[in-house]
Amino acid sequence: MEETLNAFVFGICNGGIYSLLAVSYVVIYKSTRVFPFSQAAVLILGAYIMWYCLIAWHLPIWLGFLITCSAGAILGIFIERAFMRRLVGQPILAPIVVTLCLMLLLRGVGILLGKGNIQGFGESFLPVGAWKIGFLHIPEIQVFGFVLCTGLIGALMLFYEKTRVGLAMRIVHEDHVMAQSLGLNVRRVFQYSWVISCVIASIAGMLLGNIQGVGLGLDANGLVAIAAVLFGGLESFAGAIIAGLAIGILQMLTIIYIAPLLPGETTMMIPFILLLLVLFLKPYGLFGLTRIERL
Amino acid sequence: MSINIDRPCGTFDRNYFQAKEIFRTPLRKALLILLLGSMYLLPYLTNDYGISILTIICAYSIGMLGLQIITGYCGQISIGHAAFMGIGMYTVGILQRHFGLSFWACLPLAGLVPMLIGMLFGIPALRIKGLYLAFATLAAHFVIVYVISNWRSVTNGTDGIRMNRPGPLWGIDFSADRNYYFLVLTATVLMVYLATNLTRTKLGRALVAVRDNDIAAEVMGINIAHTKILAFGIGCFFAGIAGALGGAYYEYVNVEWFGLDDSIWFLGFLVVGGFGSIFGAIAGAAVWKIMDELSTLVTPLAETFLGGAAFYASAAFSLVFYALIIIIFLVFEPRGIAHRWQMIKRSYRLHPFPY
Repeated sequence: MEETLNAFVFGICNGGIYSLLAVSYVVIYKSTRVFPFSQAAVLILGAYIMWYCLIAWHLPIWLGFLITCSAGAILGIFIERAFMRRLVGQPILAPIVVTLCLMLLLRGVGILLGKGNIQGFGESFLPVGAWKIGFLHIPEIQVFGFVLCTGLIGALMLFYEKTRVGLAMRIVHEDHVMAQSLGLNVRRVFQYSWVISCVIASIAGMLLGNIQGVGLGLDANGLVAIAAVLFGGLESFAGAIIAGLAIGILQMLTIIYIAPLLPGETTMMIPFILLLLVLFLKPYGLFGLTRIERL
Repeated sequence: MSINIDRPCGTFDRNYFQAKEIFRTPLRKALLILLLGSMYLLPYLTNDYGISILTIICAYSIGMLGLQIITGYCGQISIGHAAFMGIGMYTVGILQRHFGLSFWACLPLAGLVPMLIGMLFGIPALRIKGLYLAFATLAAHFVIVYVISNWRSVTNGTDGIRMNRPGPLWGIDFSADRNYYFLVLTATVLMVYLATNLTRTKLGRALVAVRDNDIAAEVMGINIAHTKILAFGIGCFFAGIAGALGGAYYEYVNVEWFGLDDSIWFLGFLVVGGFGSIFGAIAGAAVWKIMDELSTLVTPLAETFLGGAAFYASAAFSLVFYALIIIIFLVFEPRGIAHRWQMIKRSYRLHPFPY
């Protein structure tokens, strides 16, 4: 019982990062209807840039944070401008193949940046240590990561609800052609969503790099977050957040109950089994829009 | 894609006999025989290295044809094709290791086992399509690779399995690379013939109809469920045969040979070759494997410039370079090499005039 409860708390903390990543997928999918598989590799780049700032160039943390975020923003602008804008209106396969290839391309850049090794941040920029509350044993690093993620997601939601750009993004989500005819700059909105998503993904990369060590293996988290996005529904922020937390808990429960029974990387496997089940039973996820097609 | 797209303007079939013909003109027949003859003569002109490249291109062409049927003809996106090729390889490896069967007995099973598993993972395609199906096949890829790398008692885990080349048949010894190339080439010709004929049948036309608009196809009386599942089955059958032939060439199978990258390259180089054409699938496989060889040539070059860092540099090089080529093709020539080849033929035919 204690173990299970501990797994729940731990899982929610981990799930915060999955939620953040899932939101970074949803931001793009909502406005452009392109699923950005590439974000799984953007987070590797974010982690490596932060590593360079802290370890190689000895910059203070806040400056490293700023540099990583702006690098993410530039990457977002570049991807949208160089590749995705040319694919508007192409059949569904083209953006899928391009984002998958971008994932591998950015992974290659990651190999070049990291020289093929797994690097650590040296010392963590989040506090290390653990709190003990009763029998619960909670590492601070996870809690601070979770708080940061919730803060970011909250800020993004406020941005979506309260600002003009957020309103424009919601309108573009409804209908591209209608938004264009209302005088909205749809391309600009696409660009904003790529920038926001890439910045979020690189922040998630920083956090994950701090927790798990900087390396190419980080993109496994991005792939697991894909399962979360689908579980929650591709168009729904609420779904992404809930499903991210659920996947985090599921992984921790897997470690306790399933990992002793099955060999290998069960924590990587179980989210994908869940993904298959979701696709079999409720293909559009918890809160996704069911699109009805007409001839 | 209509069947008439690669025909000169004004050529029509006037009766059923013409419509059923494989070769429209005697010249095409002669050219095809010439091509096949030169393919069989090629190994006498190159060394062992050339033969190894040719063998791998042939094996991957079969796999690519399978993906062409799933994605190019039926329009169902599959990001797990390399895993099905892996199942084909492992079927042969496991049957040889545990039951001591000969390669010839394993070969049909190497097609049928991936076919059944592919049909199983194709079931989500009944309810979902497009992006959602991409997720399902992505998940299928991870599940298959997980099972192969962790079911140690059967698959020997990540250590891989040794495989045997096929035993002699009609006095031909397949342990020699050149003879093995002839076997793979013959299999490729056979599979290309099967795939070409598939596109001319009722099922082939149903596949294209489902790709172009599945609701319209259903209204016309095509059983979509049937067609999609069959497309997955046939495509994975091709992948399994390709895997069996490729694995037996190396006489070894390892789970690392079909990572997520390979599945993505399968899809990407299908784009480079061209959707919805048999020639496109072969061209895509050829470009992919020739580029693989080029990227191994880069490694010594990188060593002179980078020293000890060459290993990761060449790994990164192939990722960045392949991805760029696929993206450039998608942006500038989304219909691939096959379409470009048609354009070249057309401009040759119409030479002084633009059209």
